[in-house]
Parts: sequence; C-alpha cells; structure tokens
Amino acid sequence: MNCIITVEIGTGAIRVAAFDLQGNMLGTSKGAYPTFHIKPDFSEQDPEQIFITMLYILKNFLNEKIYPNGYKVHRVCFSSAMHSVLPIDRKGVPLGKAMVWSDNRAKNEAAQLRSIELGHLLYQTTGTPIHAMSPLNKITWLKNNEPDRFNDSSKFLSIKTYIIHQLTGEYVIDFSVASATGLMNIHTTKWEPAALKYAGITESSLPDLVPIFYSPKLKKEYQVSLGLPDDVKILVGSSDGCMATLGAGVYDDGKATVTLEESGAVRVIGKQILQDKNERLFNYLLTEGIYVSGGPTNNAGSVFEWFATQFGDFKKAFDLEDCMDTLIFDAGKVRPGAEGLIFLPYLQGERAPIWNANARGVYFGLNIKHEQKHMVRATIEGILYAIYSIGKTLQEHLAITDLTANGTFASFPLWTQMMADVFNKPVRIKQGPGADSVAVGSFLVSATEIGLYKSLDEAAATVELPDTYMPDTDVHAAYMKHFRIFEKLAVKLKDEFDDIADLQHENR
Amino acid sequence: MNQYFLTKESQELVPFPHILEFAFKKSNTVQFDSLKKNVSEFLRFYYVVDGRLSWVIDGNHCILYPGDLAVILPGQIFGGERDLMEPGTVFWIEIQLGLERQDGRLSLGKWCLFTENECRAISRVLFSNNSPVVSKFREAGNILQTMQAEFQSQEIGFTTRINQLLHDLIILTTRHLTSQNSSRRDFPQSFIKLEQTLRDNLSHQWTVDEMAVLMALGATAFSERVKNFTGFSPLNYLINIRISEAIKLLKQSDRSVTDIALEVGFYSSQHFATTFKKLTGYTPSEFRKNNNDN
Repeated sequence: MNCIITVEIGTGAIRVAAFDLQGNMLGTSKGAYPTFHIKPDFSEQDPEQIFITMLYILKNFLNEKIYPNGYKVHRVCFSSAMHSVLPIDRKGVPLGKAMVWSDNRAKNEAAQLRSIELGHLLYQTTGTPIHAMSPLNKITWLKNNEPDRFNDSSKFLSIKTYIIHQLTGEYVIDFSVASATGLMNIHTTKWEPAALKYAGITESSLPDLVPIFYSPKLKKEYQVSLGLPDDVKILVGSSDGCMATLGAGVYDDGKATVTLEESGAVRVIGKQILQDKNERLFNYLLTEGIYVSGGPTNNAGSVFEWFATQFGDFKKAFDLEDCMDTLIFDAGKVRPGAEGLIFLPYLQGERAPIWNANARGVYFGLNIKHEQKHMVRATIEGILYAIYSIGKTLQEHLAITDLTANGTFASFPLWTQMMADVFNKPVRIKQGPGADSVAVGSFLVSATEIGLYKSLDEAAATVELPDTYMPDTDVHAAYMKHFRIFEKLAVKLKDEFDDIADLQHENR
Repeated sequence: MNQYFLTKESQELVPFPHILEFAFKKSNTVQFDSLKKNVSEFLRFYYVVDGRLSWVIDGNHCILYPGDLAVILPGQIFGGERDLMEPGTVFWIEIQLGLERQDGRLSLGKWCLFTENECRAISRVLFSNNSPVVSKFREAGNILQTMQAEFQSQEIGFTTRINQLLHDLIILTTRHLTSQNSSRRDFPQSFIKLEQTLRDNLSHQWTVDEMAVLMALGATAFSERVKNFTGFSPLNYLINIRISEAIKLLKQSDRSVTDIALEVGFYSSQHFATTFKKLTGYTPSEFRKNNNDN
C-alpha cells in the first residue's frame, strides 16, 4: 500500500504525518527545537539541529508506524514557516544561526523602507507587507549591521531550502515561501530586481525559484538510511500558511479560514491580488496565478499561554494544558463581553491590521467587581477581536460567507463558539485526530501531483469539516458593542503606545 | 543561651570528623571585625534566626532576613559587608569536603550516604546556582536546632541522627535552590535554560537525574514533560544536540573525528560514528568529505 508522508518544518517543531491515498491520516509525530533569543528582538534557530531533528523524527516515525503496517512511501512533501533567512558561505556552511519569522531586528530597516516610495512599489510587486519579518529587510539589516557576515555570504537561504539542500544537493525555494520574502515579484514569479538592488544582492545570492510540485532527487544515502523506495519523490511543497488554507478546504469565493496557533491569521484563496491601499494585507502565492491573501496577528495562543503561565493555577508542575483547561472552563461562566472588560492583546506588538510594532497589551474598563474569570474571558475575547479586525479588513475587499477554523486554540469548543458569535457566521472545523490542516494541505498537494485530483481546486473541495458552530445574533450584538470600543482604542492609543515602548526600551 | 560553639577541638565533634564547626550565636550589638571577608575552604551554611544582615558572598551583596539560609561553597569569599557582624542570631555549620579534580564534583567522604548520581546532581545544583541565598527556608532552622539539641543531649543514636540531619539539610537545600530558580510554570523558558546549560557542557556525561534536578523535577516527571514538549526522551534530545554540534564542527574545522566526538560528549569515536551513521546514513568522515565536495 502506498502512502504519503508530510513534513512540516514549523516555528518550533518538526511535524510529520502519514496519509493513505484516500486521505486518511495514518499517524503523526513531532520533534521540537528551541528558538534562541541572544539579544532583544533576535529570534534564531540552529539549522543543523532542525535538520537532525527532522531526520530523527522521520526515521523513527517510518520505522515504528509506517513500515510495520506494510506501507510504502510514495511521496514526501515539505512545508515550512515563512520569512526565515540563513546566510551560507561559499562552501555551503551556515554563517551563524537562521533568523526566523519572529526575528524583529530589522524593524528600523522596515520603517525606513516604509517611508520611501520604493516601499509602496515593493508592496505592490512582492505582495509582502513591509515589516521586520520580511527577508528583504533582514538581509538589508545584515548589510547595514554585519557587513563582514553579509560579504562572506554566498547565498541567503530559507530554512527549508537548507534542509532540502542537505537531502538533495539542490538550492531551491518554492513560489510560496519565496513570495513571503519580499524579494519575489508575485506577478511574474521572478526575483524582483528593485528589491534585490535595495538589499544589495543579486539573483545568484538566492536559491532557484521552483513550483511547489518540484521534485529534486533525494541523495542515495538518505534514501537508504530512511528505508525509502527507489521511486520515492520528494516534493518541495509550500509554506505552512498556504498549506493550512488549502487544508482547510478554502478555495472558492466567499470562503476564509482562521488559524489560531501561537500566532494567528485570517486567509482567503483567490485568483486576484488584494491591493490594499493601506498595505495591511499580504498576498502570497500558493501556485502560479493562485494567491493566498490575508493578515497575520502576533498575538493569539501565545498571549493566552502568557496569561495562563502568570495567573493560572498549576496543580502539577509545568502542566500548562491542565491549567489552560481550568481557565477556559472559568471563562465559560462569564457572559459575553466580560461585564464590560476589554483587552487589547498586543503583547508582542501587532501586525495586521494596525501594523504597529510598538502596540502593547491593555485591560480597559476594569472595575471593582471584576474577578479573575472576567479577565480570562476578556483575554480570549480580545484575541478574537484582533482576529475579527483582520477579517473586517479582508471584507473591505471581498465578501466572506463561510468561515473555517484550524489550529490548537481554534479547537477549544468555547473559542470556536466565540469565533462564530464574534464573526456572526457559521464556523466549520474538524476537531480531534486528522485535524492538522497544514498536513492535510500537504497531502492534497501530493495527491494532486500524483494525479489523484485534477487540480488543487478539486482537491480542496474534498476536505470535510464535520463540526459546525452556529452564531447567536444576540451574542454577536453584545460583542459588537465592545468591539467598537476595542477598535477605537487600538488606533487612539497610538501615541501612548509609542511612549510606553520607548520607556520599555530604555529600561532594558 | 546566647552562644553555643563547637570546634575541631570540642569533645562533641570527635565522632564527626567531617564537621569542622557548629555554632549558634546571638549578639545584641555590632561585633566589629568579627566577620572579615576571607576565602572559605569548605562548604558552609549560615541560617538567620533573627536580624537583618548584610553579607558579601562570592562577590554578591546579599541582605539576609530571618528564615534565610546562605550557602557558601569551597573557594568562595564570604564575610560581612563592612567586615562586621550586625546584631542578630545565626546558626552555622562548616563541613569538610573536597572537590573531585576531574569534574568539580563535591566529594563528601565516608559518612555520606548519597549515591554517586545524587552527588553529581547535588554538586551541579550547588555550583550552577547563582543565588547563594535560599529564602524562606524555615526547615533549615528546625534541622539546625534539632542538631544542636542532639549535640547537647548525646542520647543513644545521636551520631547517626546528626548525620541524617546533615543529609536532610543538604537535600532540602538542593531542592529549595532548584525550585527557587524555576517557577515550575513556564516549561519552555526553563527548558531553554537547561538546553543552554547542556550546550555549554556538552562533553559532560549527563544523566537524566542531573538534568531533572536543574528543572526542579523528579526524573519521571521530567522525562514525561520533556517527551511531551519535544517529542524526545531527555537522552535522545541530548543526542540531537550532540549530533547537531558535531555536524557544525565537521563542516567548519579540520579537527579529527575523535576530537569532535569527545568534544560533543560521545565516549568514543566508534560510539559517535555508529550513532551518526544510524541517523544520517553517513559516517562522520563520509559526511565531511561529501560536504567538502559540494
């Protein structure tokens, strides 16, 4: 029996999954690696540790769960987080660790580029909002701040490029991950000369651009050590965001998906680029002519985990899950609106829609009667208001009629119901095993490549999301009364956000 | 009683060659020049019963309050902030012990019942700790008070009981230090601290107990949490780090494979080569050659 293996090189972990050719999930496994913060604003990962973790997890997974059950691996499809930069020298050796998506060191470079005409032009041609996350700004940072490392670099890779190179010897980057670098023209699928010039690099400093179905040849040694058959094909695949959108069954007009992991996003797929005049939305390429558009938030599950870590009751050492379950149970006892308590969740600055790195968290409206459970409720509501504000921005461009949800935090029933009520739309979701939409998306890409589906469009239509949460109009109305204040505060506090961010910067 | 003082010459300490000093002291006035800064040769514990005392321990300026225990390690400089003893009441005990030359481990001597693993774990906690004061540690006061009563009464079994109490003091101090350094809430943060410690001492032959104690957890709970968080058992996670570092060294330097194996913590180049090949399909030398050909 043939099976398909998906490998996600995520923000903090490798996740592998296996599917049979009917799309049934056969099993999953994961292996984590750390993010190092050696200085404020720095977020780095060790590319060798990611590579070894990937090999280790994949090998054990195949030997323990796949081969004993008589499966033969037909395709291995990769996906990865976006926006990473890893400089390598002429011999292909990494020059230091990789900067990951959350690395914020290039914030001044981003501010600089945003203030000039070229910035607006590059947003339109590359689809990537001008932000510190974008490799365009990270490479510019290297040029400005570490000229030696910049000059010693023969290429600037993505983490996935590095892993694929280890396995195959080819330096390639797929259209999806490349479209999130701020360096690729999403209209022509070529590197954008104006962006390269600004970053001080040439095409030879970047990997080759390839479609997501591209299949480089696996080195014999890895094929043998992993026990893979001669005819196995490696697919470079797409980005986690694009895969999650595809895997959520989003492909038609009117469909959108909300992802809630540590960070979050609202995304749609379409043939059109959403040219937002305020430059609040991204437009990444799923594949030629098909765009995944939307907005990301920095503050989703990570903010709730922060709350639980600081204020939760840890009955067992380090048992965060148990602690979060208890808090969510308490939040369920409070009426929507948290008795007039509003929370702005911008603990880590914010991306869409306000794009303000200096934004900070705020509890607004606290009175003497508020208890801890109100604060829990307000925290979750605030995270969802931020998500809703992205959805609202998207709706300035297109109508959203159908909402799907995925990710760890979207799967808590209370959260899913709150999402339905805040958006006033039915939310469809698959809870429990087989619900990892990045893996499902990677399966659909593989199945399409094999020819099981004629197109990604047809593949996406097969996604089943059995659980539907219906909105309650009265509750929606209650939320909107609070959201109106939320939305005003997010903008109104801009000057004070700048002031407090300055103070915090001085103090550290 | 304002003072109870046992030294090497005291009859009471004859059955305890490892205890150099045991004292209880209460002073109502400032005792000038009675606490000059000097290098402590052995392990010392000071417990504050009463008072507010400004001391310097290993370069750290500490203010101790009732219920606090100061831990002074061999080789550290200790004394009063102004070389004087402020009004207050303190217990102290000095224990003779050496340091193993090879791995800087405390060697506690014959009286000690700790297993070798426990000894390593305890040494690791004491030496990797950067705060010499354990605060709100009343149990330490109770232990020292009971010890004094045992010294004074010399009832049947007092030798054994005092040694037991000494074990208790060391164990509880270690436990308090670890839980003081770890909130037991934020696993990712505590784990990254541990990871950094592992990376800084990669050639050390880590045991699970030693790692667990740095996160203030028992070995079983620790293994379960690590597996849950990383997908790996603690020792397999450590192998991950070792191989990752080895890959870096293979790519960046011309050092011999044996050198690299030992530096990243494999006990032989064979052990390294087998583990490396099992994981990557290459031997370390093949991997290096392959990489240089690119």
